[in-house]
Order: sequence, then structure tokens, then C-alpha cells
Amino acid sequence: MTAAGIITIVVAGILTNNIILSQSVGICPFLGVSKKLDSSIGMGLAVTFVITVASIVCFFLYHYVLVPLNMTYLQTITFILIIASLVQLLDIVLKKTSPALYTSLGVYLALITTNCAVLFTANAGITAEYNLLYTFINALCVGLGFTLALVLMAGIRERLERVHIPKFFQGFPIALIIAGLMSLAFMGFGGLSF
Amino acid sequence: MQFFLTFIVPILVVGGIAAVLAFSLSFLGEKMAVDRDARIDEIVRNLAGANCGGCGYAGCDAFAEALFKGEATLSKCNPTSATNKQNIAKILGMSEERSKETVAVVHCIGGNHCRSKSDYQGYGDCQSAELLAGGNKACPVGCMGLGSCVASCKYDAISVNKDTAVAEVDYTHCTSCGACVATCPKKIIGRIPKEATVYIGCSNTGFGKEVSSVCQVGCIGCGKCEKNCPTGAIVLSNHLAAINYDKCISCGKCIEVCPRHCILPFDYAQHKRDNTNGIKA
Repeated sequence: MTAAGIITIVVAGILTNNIILSQSVGICPFLGVSKKLDSSIGMGLAVTFVITVASIVCFFLYHYVLVPLNMTYLQTITFILIIASLVQLLDIVLKKTSPALYTSLGVYLALITTNCAVLFTANAGITAEYNLLYTFINALCVGLGFTLALVLMAGIRERLERVHIPKFFQGFPIALIIAGLMSLAFMGFGGLSF
Repeated sequence: MQFFLTFIVPILVVGGIAAVLAFSLSFLGEKMAVDRDARIDEIVRNLAGANCGGCGYAGCDAFAEALFKGEATLSKCNPTSATNKQNIAKILGMSEERSKETVAVVHCIGGNHCRSKSDYQGYGDCQSAELLAGGNKACPVGCMGLGSCVASCKYDAISVNKDTAVAEVDYTHCTSCGACVATCPKKIIGRIPKEATVYIGCSNTGFGKEVSSVCQVGCIGCGKCEKNCPTGAIVLSNHLAAINYDKCISCGKCIEVCPRHCILPFDYAQHKRDNTNGIKA
């Protein structure tokens, strides 16, 4: 556990291995909830929150249930189970305990139930054999990277609304082109290493 | 034994995890249930249900909750009918405040009478035009006639008149939801009471000389209406006539004396009669 190790995880999570732009995971909200800056920030924060909580819970499930039972091949299906119900649990608990946070996350919390970015991060943390602290930092940074990509996309798409676009590029085609260009731009971070 | 290990144990593990989660979900769902007052649901049933967002809340449901908490007033919602509003007032135990019913009007009749300072060939809605040096009209608060309000209206109640190049409200369909009021970048769409008989067709607060240099029909703040109003319902504020509808007695004096003809007669009932067959000229 070194400072350099943590910095590597932070930079990788946010920039070099950006979950959307490098790993191509979580594209659905990237294209679906990136029309307005406000909603993209809400979605980003909700995903960050859920990824962090889900990764930690999955970490405990894997190391204290699946490994002792020698059933690590059940990883994917149990993680899906955990994530889906965890989001529901959070929804219920937040509604009661923290209405302010609940209203700021809004409808996005429920939408994350089936977001593959959450499962991907939980799996990646296990594959990389992170300890609890690294799992936490990794999940947080992946979430922040997700938020960054979403906010950048929303900013660009808000400007696109005011531009003439050839008819056959309007809507999703131009969004996909932009996503591709952003992905290329993020590849420039690839050389960063510590 | 081998069979037991390969098939039964995994089933038990996954089933066990699922069962634990299911139990905790149902337990928490019961335990952490947020009790919502039945009266809120009753309010929602009485609201118009258009979810137009004109009140500034996320929808009728959010508005009902705000009403219940006392954060919002009924007058914020216009699509809801008067009888339903009384029902809601009863549910909330409020004194039956009779909120005035309103309609939207465009406080500008400039259009072709108003000079253009540039030839705008951009994206084509008011917001974009406004970004380019405040639009193509010489008057800073003149209707550009590009129709952002038309796009914002859910009820097809506002349109840009081809002849005058100014947005006009179709009072028959207007529910006064306030979408156009919020959309207009010039902020020249306002609401007036349905029983009003006059309204001001100008929003320019500049000096008379400034106004007359850009528009043939803009209010120059001469004050004739103020002097001639028998009840003091019209006052000039910032070189622009403003009507206090509580004092207005509908005498029509101001319409007669206005040298710029920018105080206009208004007759909601007449519009309603003219348009009952649903065909608009």
C-alpha cells in the first residue's frame, strides 16, 4: 500500500482507463442522460455513489462468502443479485434517512439498477486483487471518471443544440461521432504513468 | 456427495443470498416506508395532471407535495379548474382564496413597425438570436418573431402572426401555464387577468426618444394615459405605462388618448365567443 499505488489507481480510474471512453462500459447513460448538464451531474453522482457502495459490498461477499466456499465461479451472478437489490435498498433507505440526497439523485438512482458500469467495476476490483482501501478508491475514481465523461458530453451536446447539423447526422449519429472523438482524445492520457 | 457439492451447494448459496436480500428488502420496505399523507394523493387527483411544469416543480406530484407543506400557493397552477382548486383548498383547510384566472399576453406589438438592426440568418430560434448581440431587432425588448414561445407551448396557444411578425396568444387555448413566459429571452410575455379590458403592447423602458427611434408603436412614456385615467390605475414606471388591474374600471380612456396606440383593448369573453367553433382566422 503505497502513495504511488493510490495515485496510479486515481489517474487510471479517472483518465487513462476512463470507464466510458476507454473501456466502453456504461454507454447507455452516456448517450441517454447527457442532454442536459444538470441531469448529467445528477446521474454521475448517483453512479459514483452506487459504484462505491456496490464495490465494497461485493468485495466482502467475494472474500468472505465465495472464496471460503470455493465458489468464485458464482461471482457474476451473485454480484448482479447484490447490485440490483442494493440499489433498491439504497433507494428505500435514502428516501427515509436523507430526503435531501434522495431528491438530488432523483430518478437516476433507480435507473442504475441495470447499469453495467457498476458490475464491471466490482468485477475489475476482484480481478485486480485489490484490498479494501484500494477497492474503495478505485470505485470512487471510476465513478468520478464516469461523471467527468458524462458532464463533458452533456456540455458538448448542449452546444450542439444550437448548431446546424446535416439531417442524417442529427440525434444519435452525431452523438456517437462525438463519443468516438472524445474517446480518441482520452487515449492521449494513455502515456501517463507513475 | 459429488453431486451434492456441484449442484446443490451453489443453488443453496445463490438462493440463500437472494433470500437474505429479499427479506431485508421487504423488511426495510416496511420499516422505512415514508408515510405520505392520504391528503396529498387527494390533491394530486384534483390537479389538472398536465405535468406541464409551469409551477416550477417537477410535475403535479411534486407540486401537490409542495402545496401540502405550504411551500407553494395554488395560484402557481393555472391549468387546474376553479372548482378543483376549491376542492384542494378544502383539503388543505385553507380559506378559499379565489385566485384570479389569468391568460398570457405578449407585451409587444412592434414586429414590422420595429426597425431591424441586422439580418439574422442563424439557427432560427429566439434564444440563439438573443445570443448574437441581443437579437436582430433594434428594440432591446422587441418580439423577434422567431417562435421559441410557439415551440414551448404545450397547448398550441401561441403563434407568430405572419402579417405583423409578432407572437400572439390564442386566448381560447391558453391555460396560463407560464411556459412561454419563462422561455421568451426578451421577457416580454406576461400574464393578465381574464377579466382585463386593456393591456400594454410594449415593454421598452427606454426614454421616449430611444423608443421612437427604433419603433413606431412603442410606449414613449408621455404619461397621457396616467393623466387621463380617472382611477389612477395606470402609472408610469421607468418610462413605461403599467396597469393596476385592481383599480381599472374598464373605461377605455387610456386606449383613446394613447398617441402611439400601444394600449390595446382586450376582451377575453369575445375571443372565447369568436373561437368556440375551434377555427382560428
